[in-house]
Amino acid sequence: MAASHRLRVIRRRLLQAVPVLVLATFVVFGLLKLMPGDIAITLAGENATEQRIAEIRALYGLDRPFLVQYGSWLANAVQGDLSKSLATGEKVATSIARAFPNTLLIVVLAMSVALAIGVPLGMLAASRPDGARDRIVTSVASLGIAVPNFWLAMLLVAWLALGTGWFPATGAKPLAEGLGPALHHAILPALALAAGGVAEVSRQLRSSLVEILSSPPVRTLRAKGLSPAAILWKHGLKNAGVNLLTVTTLLFNRLLAATVVVEAVFAIPGMGNLIVNAALTRDLPVVQGVVFVMVLVVITINLTADLLYTVLDPRIK
Amino acid sequence: MSDATDLHDAPLPAVGLSRRHLMALAGAMGLPGLASAQGTPAKGGVLKVSASANPSSLDPATGGAGSDHTFLWTMFDTLVEWDYETLKAKPGMAAFNFPDPRTLVLDIKPGITFHDGTPMDAAAVKFNLDRGRTDQRSNIKADLQNVAEVVVTGPLQATIKLARPDTALPAILSDRAGMMVSPKAVQALGQEHDRKPVGAGPWKFVSWSANEKVVVTRADKYWRADRGFVDGIEFSIIPELATGLRAVVAGQNDFAYNVPPRLMPLIDKAKNLTKVTGPTLYCLQLYFNTAKKGLDNLKVRQAINFALDRPGFVKASLAGVGEPAYMQLPKTHWAYDPTLVGLYPHNIEKAKALLAEAGYKDGIELTVGSYTDQDSVRRSEIVGEQLRKAGIRLKFITGTIPEISGQMFGNEKKFDMLLSAWTGRPDPSMTYSLMYSKDAYFNAGRTDHGAKMAELLAESRVAERIEGRKLIFWQLQRLIMEQALVAPLAFQYELVAAGQQVKGYKPNLLGKPKYEFISKA
Repeated sequence: MAASHRLRVIRRRLLQAVPVLVLATFVVFGLLKLMPGDIAITLAGENATEQRIAEIRALYGLDRPFLVQYGSWLANAVQGDLSKSLATGEKVATSIARAFPNTLLIVVLAMSVALAIGVPLGMLAASRPDGARDRIVTSVASLGIAVPNFWLAMLLVAWLALGTGWFPATGAKPLAEGLGPALHHAILPALALAAGGVAEVSRQLRSSLVEILSSPPVRTLRAKGLSPAAILWKHGLKNAGVNLLTVTTLLFNRLLAATVVVEAVFAIPGMGNLIVNAALTRDLPVVQGVVFVMVLVVITINLTADLLYTVLDPRIK
Repeated sequence: MSDATDLHDAPLPAVGLSRRHLMALAGAMGLPGLASAQGTPAKGGVLKVSASANPSSLDPATGGAGSDHTFLWTMFDTLVEWDYETLKAKPGMAAFNFPDPRTLVLDIKPGITFHDGTPMDAAAVKFNLDRGRTDQRSNIKADLQNVAEVVVTGPLQATIKLARPDTALPAILSDRAGMMVSPKAVQALGQEHDRKPVGAGPWKFVSWSANEKVVVTRADKYWRADRGFVDGIEFSIIPELATGLRAVVAGQNDFAYNVPPRLMPLIDKAKNLTKVTGPTLYCLQLYFNTAKKGLDNLKVRQAINFALDRPGFVKASLAGVGEPAYMQLPKTHWAYDPTLVGLYPHNIEKAKALLAEAGYKDGIELTVGSYTDQDSVRRSEIVGEQLRKAGIRLKFITGTIPEISGQMFGNEKKFDMLLSAWTGRPDPSMTYSLMYSKDAYFNAGRTDHGAKMAELLAESRVAERIEGRKLIFWQLQRLIMEQALVAPLAFQYELVAAGQQVKGYKPNLLGKPKYEFISKA
């Protein structure tokens, strides 16, 4: 029964994803077309002439009507062909396959840091609401939210890369070159990304736990003599799980977007850098490809979260 | 290449850097001229470079970005080369001569092969030039528009028949059009040659991961023994210039170019770095749309030129790493005209008087396109303040480079002026025809600047001897500046930061690094 329910959820979510994908790529395509700037001028190069620019528009089909261009891209995309970059000639799928693991590694590492620090801090704060520990955690969380991640990233570079030389200041290593070097390069950007996440996780978990711990069922448990630790671990955390999962999902999606800035500071060849460079040059196939993949990733994350909800709380349909 | 001893100790204008100072900086890097006393540089090591832009293509004929050259020169030698300091054309893979104004003969040096073993001979030259002239994807058609036919007149001799005289052709052949690709590779790979290029340069292609890395390795059968010392070069693409510099400070990379002058204190502070600077053609300037009301008036354009404090601009916006521009060629260029320096001295009263004569007694408001990066914003503020004192009020509209340049030079014609740079070309005639011919793309108003301009532009490609060409360029430049068709501001000098293990780097007037003399200690 549960398995068939999950299959229904997956099927429904996948069907819902189709219009989201089309809408997102259509809007981005339209926005880029509306923005001033023309990649034909860039492609014509330093010795551009009006004639050459017109030739390039014809050569790359940039002179076709907007809907024809979008339709052509979409028709290829659904067949798995994300086309080639107009600016570099590289297959968009190749660029994404190289960039996405770099971004994913940073985000996963940042999530791990955010959860590893944020969850204990949230529990600590909730264990005695409005006490000294709670106030300290709240202050730390406020600081984490307030500090811009690009600024923190630059401080980390100055201290831990240029100052001590413990970490590389720029770049990324693919996992294929070994987990050690890949993590070594990813730690500073992940720390810069994680600061806000720590704050968010700890604050949300604290609120959730405080509410649960002051609920009548927990009061009953306390009256029955259950230890505060047992109440917190067995009943508090379990009931806060759904809320924590929601926060984690939202945080993951937000961190994916936040990599745009951090990747620039650390010169990481990830999805953020890819889409920024492509948007600046109006390289539509690359922008579309990145948006397409990111929408798929977000849909997958949300779907996974939906499935986990049903595991954490069987009452959720 | 000029001998270092040819250089005098004349101070460069307004920047506090003398030639002796520049040479001292360059000497710290171990120039070839100085290195000769220390013996031939040792071969070995991989040079790691922070590159500021991704290449547009690694095929010289199909790419278009000015930032491509620093990659292309590693893999492609050119038929003609230029002197690093003056850009005078000199033989590269071929010696050249004009037996008559409509014929250019190229005598190719023997023993050159492409990296795939294909001989670099007259047939290869014909293939390349014909491809450049006719291929649908070629971006160098305009460069070769005067070429009527390329004839193989010997195994190592190609003769170029011209539709009209074009003495700029040797310089053009020192640029993309002269970078020879392997015919065999192009025929085999087609468009893929953009990403898997085969040339005859000191290094051969290994890999290109777009927006990430370009890697080249030594070409074992390279035809010259006196260059190409490092075993390979790895370019990390880092568009954020401060980040690129940080990679060198941290020791991850060895070399960063295009470093903005505002970051010079960081280089000075880092004990492990050496800086190299030198003049370039990179001219920061105000482009005019002379078809727009206001700028269609000569007196308004002249007023702008008088209102600019160029030495002040160099000091404030380039931290002194540049020279004031009174024309579109820097002081060390072979066609530089020193008499133009006094044409537009900084004179606010004169600017106001000219504006009043033009009918703008209460001043004039002009829209200017500019870019959003930190350096452009700073330049905008300085120029805006300088012109405001003469009653010229600027309204800046900012955006990305493709956006703003498209709005200036494309169909929209949105701005009166554009605050940007002209990156320079190997031959001045290329610059002037690209900017001042009637239908030139960079002539924003598509204005006809008169018969004299057209005549001089044509003549600049007819005169054969460099002395004769210099005189024509002097007339051309004077005409441009007297008509105030542009307001040059400053030449930004090349600024390179390198690790102390990097020896032998020599700046060039194009401001685009070549790595042929670099060795790693």
